[in-house]
Amino acid sequence: MISKEEVQKLAELARLELSDQEVAGLQKDISNILDYVGQVSAVAIDDATPKVGVVHNVMRQDEVRISDDIMAGKEEALRGEFPKREGNFNVVRKIIQKDE
Amino acid sequence: MPELNKLTITEAGTKLKTGEITAVDLARACLAEIEAKNKDLNIFLEVFEDVIVQAESADARRKAGESHPLLGIPLAIKDNVLIEGRKASAASKMLENYVATYDATIIKKLKDAGAVFLGRTNMDEFAMGGSTENSAFGPTKNPVDPSRAPGGSSGGSAAAVSAHMCLGAIGTDTGGSIREPAAFCGLVGFKPTYGAVSRSGLIAMGSSLDQAGPLTKTVDDAKLLFDVIKGQDYLDSTSISDATYPKTNSKKKIGVPRHLLKEGVEPDVLAAFEKSLESLKAKGYEVVDIEIPSAALALSVYYVIMPAEVSANLARFDGVRYGLSVKGDSLFEDYAKSKALGFGPEVRRRIMLGTYVLSSGYYDAYYGKALAAREKLTKEFADVLAGVDAIAMPTTPCPAIKIGEKSDPLSMYLLDIFTVTANITGNPAISVPMGTVIREGVPLPIGLQLTAAHGADDSLFEIGKLL
Repeated sequence: MISKEEVQKLAELARLELSDQEVAGLQKDISNILDYVGQVSAVAIDDATPKVGVVHNVMRQDEVRISDDIMAGKEEALRGEFPKREGNFNVVRKIIQKDE
Repeated sequence: MPELNKLTITEAGTKLKTGEITAVDLARACLAEIEAKNKDLNIFLEVFEDVIVQAESADARRKAGESHPLLGIPLAIKDNVLIEGRKASAASKMLENYVATYDATIIKKLKDAGAVFLGRTNMDEFAMGGSTENSAFGPTKNPVDPSRAPGGSSGGSAAAVSAHMCLGAIGTDTGGSIREPAAFCGLVGFKPTYGAVSRSGLIAMGSSLDQAGPLTKTVDDAKLLFDVIKGQDYLDSTSISDATYPKTNSKKKIGVPRHLLKEGVEPDVLAAFEKSLESLKAKGYEVVDIEIPSAALALSVYYVIMPAEVSANLARFDGVRYGLSVKGDSLFEDYAKSKALGFGPEVRRRIMLGTYVLSSGYYDAYYGKALAAREKLTKEFADVLAGVDAIAMPTTPCPAIKIGEKSDPLSMYLLDIFTVTANITGNPAISVPMGTVIREGVPLPIGLQLTAAHGADDSLFEIGKLL
């Protein structure tokens, strides 16, 4: 079973606050699910396995196409979703603190 | 006018065209049914206030000379599809008050065709689940038997069609979320070839797996809706054109992977499946045994790849730009509290699982291997489908489950065992009704799933129509 510390580390990586009770539940659930999905680790990867397969990024030229801009004229609607707003600005917490 | 809400889209389209009925008549019939049943069944999270106005506009367009098979047809839309100016919550507290700022491409296409949107339907939160019990706004009940779940995650959309609250509905399918509820509610549910329908404006779950598609009463209706929503889209770089995959001729052959049906499928479901195969034989199809050696791995592959993509996609909900925002004592706490209060237990579980399989030290053993298995599975499907028109399986191993029956997440995941494969490989798949099985004296619908080659979506409608 995965440890309490491992679950807490994952929660930190995922920026997720968990209660103690939830940590215990997740230890059990994640372990059970990993036991089941662990069969994938037995899959053999050989030279025949394609390096770029069904899932790959599809890129396009970075060009302006006004006709496809579904956000044109929607600025105010987007700003309306801000949790905290001042004028046209989204108010966020100060991230970079000055060194003392 | 009696029971207009019970018409198929095709039937209603004909009556609208001849002027026998109006879009307003249809909308009123659906609204009356919603009014009568929604309180008990919890199918619609919101019924739009302007339904009659939309219907009047459709009638006006027809008067002005327009005619489209969807003009004036009332549809239900899953709560993870954006309609400009309306709420789209993905049945989550995180987006409870989120108002969409633009139309999903499929919504734009449906509006152009003249469809009327009745409201947004309940679902498992962020489409994570197979029973609609994971909604932050309470479970939806199956209209066939209200003690049971309608399936999920598009359970609200399926239940809305099944309860005749609408003529058809839009759902999304990441691991069976259209086909499984269609089977449990006695409907046709179709997941298109990956890329056939634009994902622009769908609230993302697993981006390499997600597809939107129709839930309808008939195969003809499913094709009608699919034909409207499909098409390459500049706003979804993974969308494909009609020319992406080669066209093939019918071989009049159906493949059955019997090695996958030896255990786990309930006996009367298997018997109904055999009966469906007999009826395909009677229609001139040869039924042959096929082998998909890696198929037994499909569910494991899915439950590695999907949570990995979930953990990446849902990282955007941080309380900074939109959605639920809860303040703590630090930036870290702002994030952690917003996510803790915004997401329900299943969403949190999948984020954690995805974070695990992508984390340093485990990536190669889980995600890397799952991707390799995905390649193998895709190749095996392509090889088999070079020799047959479609692969037939039961959509699910059992009929609709009782609400609250499956409390252990893994046992719930096992419901997806036959549906996840088409999402992993990107193949199109349809679920069509294959009769009923009796549980506690109630006949419960089950479905037959057909999977075809990439781009051969239309062949599924042709075969599906025979059943």
